[in-house]
Order: sequence, then structure tokens, then C-alpha cells
Amino acid sequence: MNQKTERAPKVALSHLFWWFMFAQGGGLAALVLPVHILVQGVLGPLGVVPVADRHYDTWISILGNPIVKLYLLVLIALPFFHFAHRLRYLLVDLGVPAAKSVPAQVIFYGGAVAVTLVAVWVLLTTAPISLG
Amino acid sequence: MSVEAESTAPVATRVYKPAMATGWWTHKRHYFWYMVREFTALPMAAWLLWFLIEIQRSGSVKTFRPGTSTAFVIFSFICLLFALYHSVTFLGLAGVIIHIKALDRPVPPRAIVVTMFGLWLVASIVIGAVLIGFGR
Repeated sequence: MNQKTERAPKVALSHLFWWFMFAQGGGLAALVLPVHILVQGVLGPLGVVPVADRHYDTWISILGNPIVKLYLLVLIALPFFHFAHRLRYLLVDLGVPAAKSVPAQVIFYGGAVAVTLVAVWVLLTTAPISLG
Repeated sequence: MSVEAESTAPVATRVYKPAMATGWWTHKRHYFWYMVREFTALPMAAWLLWFLIEIQRSGSVKTFRPGTSTAFVIFSFICLLFALYHSVTFLGLAGVIIHIKALDRPVPPRAIVVTMFGLWLVASIVIGAVLIGFGR
């Protein structure tokens, strides 16, 4: 008897997750990172404009806001999932095929997860949460 | 040599697909800029790590040291150039990647790209205004 076995298509959830993180991280970095670097890294230190992170009291009170904490977490953590993929393939393109291997994936994407955890810890321990 | 001996002799393998030379990306300008696009991740990651360290140092007035040195400004300026290149190339591809429909018609890729660049402009103005506004 010819018995056909039909299998339901397997959804590549892991693949979907990492591509989602790659795209969102890249999009976020593209939309908001240049202005942060321009204002906080160039114009502020040069004294061209006053910036929130120049004075301790102002900066620490802003950092205490939970919405700011959440924004900073997303701003810092999400792009690292994009960077992990980009840097891994940069190595592949430079002639390092080992960057495609599973251990390399663990190192790069694990690095992004580690940065996320460190960012959570830093944001929770640096300034006490205040709604004021 | 007999026919039998010939057939059992080891056959030399031929490489039909030669491995890419390490410096392949230096041969064409297009390849070079592709690699620059991939490389943008490194300076952007470095700047974000610095930012995270700065936030951590803000925990105490003793350790609070906002970057003011010339070296830091130069570092940020270099990172800014790479970040801008990432933005232009990433948002420029939005029309190829994003497929949406409006009123049962596909939105033209050009409209998606223009919208993304518009979003970039608005986000930059809003975030810049907030960062500067709270600094006054």
C-alpha cells in the first residue's frame, strides 16, 4: 500500500526571530543613532549646543524616568542584534568561513544578548526610577 | 600502463569554483562600498558601548565624566560618518524590502523610501530638540 505521509510545513521561528531583530535593530540605528552621535558626541562636547547629558543633576533626573530607561534600553540593545549579523558576515566576506559556524553564531548573537542584559542592569542600577 | 591500472589510478580533483581572494572587495568600487556598509556596524557598536559606559558612570557624581576631549569628538565624528552611511544605505533599501498595499494597490517603492527618509528627518528633529531642550 502506498501510504503518503503529509507533514505540516515547519515554521522557522528561530530564523524569523533573528531576522526580525536584525531588521528592527538596523532600522532603529538608521533612524535615531546619527542624531544621538551628532548632539551628544560632537555638538555637545564642542559647546555648540547645551545637551542634557552635560550636567549631573539634569542627566540623572532624566535617567530616572522609566520611559527614558525603556527608550535607552531599546536604543542600545536592539542595534546590537543587527551589528552581530553584519559583523559575522563581514568576517565571512573577508575570508573567515568559520564565522558561519554555530559557535560563531553563539558568540555574536550571544554577545548581543549579553549587551542587552548589561544594559538592563546598568539602567536599573544607575538612577532610581522616578516618575517626577 | 593497462586500462585497468588507469581506471584505478587516483583522479586529480579539479577546483571549478575557485575560492575568493581575501582582497576581492578592493577590486571594484561597488564591492568596496558594500564592505564599508557592512563595517559601519563596528563604529556604531563602539559608540553605543561608550554611551552605555557613560550612563553607568552617571551613577555617582564622583564618576560622572561626560566626554569632552578632542579625541572623543573625533571618535564621535568618525562614528557619525559611518552611522550616516548606514542610514542612507539602509533606508534607501526600504523600497525593496517593504511591500505594503494601500487601497488594494501596492505602494510604489519610491514612496516608501521617501517616507522612511521623512521619518528619519522627523525623528532626528524631535530627538535633537529633546536632548538640547533638557540641556537648557
